[in-house]
Amino acid sequence: MTSHRTFRRSFDSIQDIFAFSAEVFASERIEPSLLPSVDLTLEELFTNMVKYTASTAAVRIDMTKVAGGVEVTLTDYDVGPFDVTQAPDADIDRPIEQREPGGLGLHLIRRLVDCVQYEYSAESRQSRITFRKTQAGATTSDRGTVAGSADAHD
Amino acid sequence: MLTIDFGPNGVVVIAGRLDAAQSPAAQAFLDQVDGTVTLDCIRLEYISSAGLGVLLKTQKRLMGSAGKLRLSGVNRHLQDIFVYSGFDKIFEIEPAP
Repeated sequence: MTSHRTFRRSFDSIQDIFAFSAEVFASERIEPSLLPSVDLTLEELFTNMVKYTASTAAVRIDMTKVAGGVEVTLTDYDVGPFDVTQAPDADIDRPIEQREPGGLGLHLIRRLVDCVQYEYSAESRQSRITFRKTQAGATTSDRGTVAGSADAHD
Repeated sequence: MLTIDFGPNGVVVIAGRLDAAQSPAAQAFLDQVDGTVTLDCIRLEYISSAGLGVLLKTQKRLMGSAGKLRLSGVNRHLQDIFVYSGFDKIFEIEPAP
């Protein structure tokens, strides 16, 4: 079953988005250990929409239980194209003197979820970002195991 | 929700979720600390890139005056985030027991 809700384009909506994801995880009995990665991905994608687009339209979020996890789609209205899957990774090997806050959001989500897809319709000026998080593609901490490097999903 | 305050022995205790909405309050608190500071993360459940920015900005400021920010009680999920961000190379991180 798919659950959906729309959220005002504001940082103040983040708590409501977290409440929505927690509600869907509970009602659909989705593995709770996947929730932090899903919340982080939702926050990063949603805050990018708030920061970098001039649209005032609300953002729609759909969540669907899939085998072993969840699939989430964010739909953004009245926006130009920006393919989040093509954004470069952050250079995390720089010394601290050369690092500045920012630029880590998309870098992180590529490592936390199984896959991210981007679609854009120029006709309707609508973008859709879909990501999937499952136990099969879970990171080390999602599985609750100890030691070893976490799986990366580039 | 996020709370951040001084605990015993000058340790700073942070609890809850350090997300984009809560980061300004955390930054305002950490802007007031000096020297070498331990941030007790045992009850920190969640951090996003906005929260990472708060930690990085604080670390840069403290290191500029011979201090630093140490992170203690870091859970597995947060450890993953720190490794993916390269923060394991710029912070002293003590895992949660």
